[in-house]
Amino acid sequence: MRIIVIGAGKVGYTIAEHLIAEEHDVIIIDKNDDVIDRCSSSLDALCVKGNGANAKVLLEAGVDKAHIVIASTESDESNMLACLISKRLGAHYTIARIRDPEFNESQTLLQNELGIDVAINPERATALEISRLLRYPFAGSIESFARGSVEMVEFRAQEGDCFIGIPMRKLSEKLPKLPKILYAMVERNNTVMIPDGDFSIKPGDKVFVSGDMIGITEYFRYLGRNKHKIRSVMILGGSRISYYLSKLIIPMGIHVTLFEINEDKARALSELLPKVDVIVGDGTDQDLLEEQGLPQMDAFVSLSNRDEENLLSGMHASRCGVPKVIAKNSRMAYREILNDLGLDSVISPQFITSSTILRYVRARENSNGTKIERLYRLVDGKAEALEFIARKEDSYVGIPLKNLTTKKGSIVSVIVHQGKIIIPFGNDRIEENDHVIIISVESGISDLNEVLYK
Amino acid sequence: MNRRLIMRLLGSLLLIEAIAMLPSFLISLYYGDNDDLPLLYSILINIAAGSFMFFFFRPDVNSHLRLKEGFIITALGWIFLGIFGSLPFVFSKALPRFEDAFFETVSGLTTTGASVVTDFDHFPRGVMFWRATTHWIGGMGVLVLTLALLPKLTGRTSHLIRAESPGPSLSKLVPKTGATAKILYRIYILLTLIEFVTLLICGLNPYDAAVHTFATAGTGGFSNYGKSIAQFNSVPVEIAITIFMFMFGVNFALYYKFLIGDRFKAFFHDEEFRWYFIFALTFMLLITLINLQHYNGDFFTSLRYGSFQVSSIMSTTGFVTYDFNQWPAASHIIIVIAMLIGSCAGSTAGGIKVIRIILLSKLSRRNIRATGQPKKMDVIRLDGKAVDEHMLSQIAQFVFMYIALVLIGGFIMSLGSGYDLTTNLSASLTCVSNVGPGLGAVGPVYNYAGYTVHAKMTASFLMLFGRLELLPLFILFTRSAWHKY
Repeated sequence: MRIIVIGAGKVGYTIAEHLIAEEHDVIIIDKNDDVIDRCSSSLDALCVKGNGANAKVLLEAGVDKAHIVIASTESDESNMLACLISKRLGAHYTIARIRDPEFNESQTLLQNELGIDVAINPERATALEISRLLRYPFAGSIESFARGSVEMVEFRAQEGDCFIGIPMRKLSEKLPKLPKILYAMVERNNTVMIPDGDFSIKPGDKVFVSGDMIGITEYFRYLGRNKHKIRSVMILGGSRISYYLSKLIIPMGIHVTLFEINEDKARALSELLPKVDVIVGDGTDQDLLEEQGLPQMDAFVSLSNRDEENLLSGMHASRCGVPKVIAKNSRMAYREILNDLGLDSVISPQFITSSTILRYVRARENSNGTKIERLYRLVDGKAEALEFIARKEDSYVGIPLKNLTTKKGSIVSVIVHQGKIIIPFGNDRIEENDHVIIISVESGISDLNEVLYK
Repeated sequence: MNRRLIMRLLGSLLLIEAIAMLPSFLISLYYGDNDDLPLLYSILINIAAGSFMFFFFRPDVNSHLRLKEGFIITALGWIFLGIFGSLPFVFSKALPRFEDAFFETVSGLTTTGASVVTDFDHFPRGVMFWRATTHWIGGMGVLVLTLALLPKLTGRTSHLIRAESPGPSLSKLVPKTGATAKILYRIYILLTLIEFVTLLICGLNPYDAAVHTFATAGTGGFSNYGKSIAQFNSVPVEIAITIFMFMFGVNFALYYKFLIGDRFKAFFHDEEFRWYFIFALTFMLLITLINLQHYNGDFFTSLRYGSFQVSSIMSTTGFVTYDFNQWPAASHIIIVIAMLIGSCAGSTAGGIKVIRIILLSKLSRRNIRATGQPKKMDVIRLDGKAVDEHMLSQIAQFVFMYIALVLIGGFIMSLGSGYDLTTNLSASLTCVSNVGPGLGAVGPVYNYAGYTVHAKMTASFLMLFGRLELLPLFILFTRSAWHKY
């Protein structure tokens, strides 16, 4: 596809890099000479110097033939304008980074009027990611499908988990009380496998289970992983992410203590978030943190504007015995070192934004021409999740899954039947117009009939 | 330095060269001038060396080609191609001495067209065809061909096309380097075919038409006749070649724009093309008028030889229809100026390039204006767009190095040669600019056979310097190029 990326900052550059690796034709627009120099020497893309909100520049970049325009400059207004103009000039699909909460309020209106197909708010996306990590504190990653109604959670199997060593086909027989859930993938020694009936999980495997939210919660409660449900969170820094995060986790029954050094900002936050304890003070002050009960907290999230501060206070919280520590780090470098230091959840808004945008692009790519509704890349691209809609004439419709043959390396992960989530087992069947999610370690599947047949 | 990656890419170049030799081998079988075995051996040696380097050196899959390595591969690649490409000349005994064969091959690949061949009548026709083929593959660039033909060898291949394409900045046609290379070659092949058919219609036999088409397409100038185009003594052939030489000196990006719908707007909205056109017309007219007396006032004869020669020299082809040594000195000066300027960036031609001349003229004008109004902000524009100051200073440095190289080259070539100043300096200039014929004893009816061994080797490297636009070869002489990191 022909994709125009406007603004090659951290986010734009990462997106362009990934899109080029996926063989797209990428055109980069940026007004900074140095950025253009850097991009044209290290990326296999066409680089155009200029303002992305200028119609002449956009036409020079070939916007009339572009499939997707991604506006990821620092300025919301420029991004919106770029999308508006691109759409008018003939671009098929536009994605804009829009971060100001003020614009968020009137998002639908803006989107309809300005021709923005997707608006990504980096802060909100980051807050969403953090809230997921807080909901399943033991999870390494969480992916959601079918508009968020189905989730896939990654966790590490431990010695002593009840399912260790039992073949899949005997699980329900031997452990009747274990809530039924789909074992979608297992990653062992850096290879991803789709478990079949004879497969058994070993300690140390990374297991990916999928199901609806309730099913997954019950499953982990049975395994005993959910004992430490997070009830109290301490947040450092009153940034936009902190605001969105508080709004997301308060309804989950989590108590929030928030540190903000600036009194006016603290007051404004307190007005917006009545249930939050807003503390005016320096979040790096150890005494103050302890006084507010840091060692008793279930989780600590550092979201200040300075990376170093976030990492150091994160390490401090970890030392004080807080079980879940999440630190924001804008730079993606030094990730391995941070793991060694004991900070396992380091999040970068830039990374989250670019992967969110990439997800939309891929979904778009695959709805072009093939029968795939959406495609998600999992575990660094080692596996794929594909969403299909079952058609009346397809041969598998109406037949119980146990009577069908499934292609090796693939698994039917979820069936969405009239808005209801079904985690499929042998007796379930796919009906016409059902949404079906397939997980496969092989790429290149383009039709559900390739995976399921009589 | 990623040695394995460099070796692998160099290997792929030799494999491409082996493929390029195949048609010559078939032609040698057809004519039977006893050069089939020499060509076969050359192909086999190229395949053996190339596949050894290609398959034995397997770089890390994730390794990127760095900018420095791109330049080193380009420079070493062209030297390798010159060495392995000279095998057919040596084996067939057409040019038994290595320095002659290397000179001839490099002259072909760099599309210079300077020759040491003295006996054209007994030259084997298969090897002669290879001599013409070197023009064609060298014109658009062998690395560009590699990128067009081979699947992705490594990341960041744009460094290669950048190092090999003439001009101060690379203009990619489409986002992907590989796709850009393919488009360039498609346009190149299309224009080549059109010229081949045109020359057939003008009455040349297929062999002559092919040899001269290759030489025009690459803006090289090798002919299979000692008298060059004058051999045919045909006005239609001369007009056709004049036009095609001019066309191959135009930036290929403009043909792409022409084909995708801009039509003739593509050319005349381009500042470089406009000046190229103006320069060519002015020089043609001036030379015609200056030579009027030489041709006894016959305007059309003067125009016939003058326009052909200007197109030939400006496009750095170097075909000859008349011994311009006999022209008045004023014409010689115009020829030297045309040699320096050359054609457009992004074409197959050599020289300093029109775009650099335009920008330097604008820079000089600004300097003059600035003496009166030093505080005035003065932006230099090309095609209405502001030009980066960094690029302007690079261009000024380039032209300095270019002139310095011509002078130093002329000095080294003159050592022990016994030729005069005109001969030595024009030989050096014509080599760096990839034109071919010079003035004096290297003029249109003479050749380079009389030079000493060291002068021939110097000339070969001057041609390489000119074709790769100096920097890739200069970088080989820096210590940091050979560092392990």
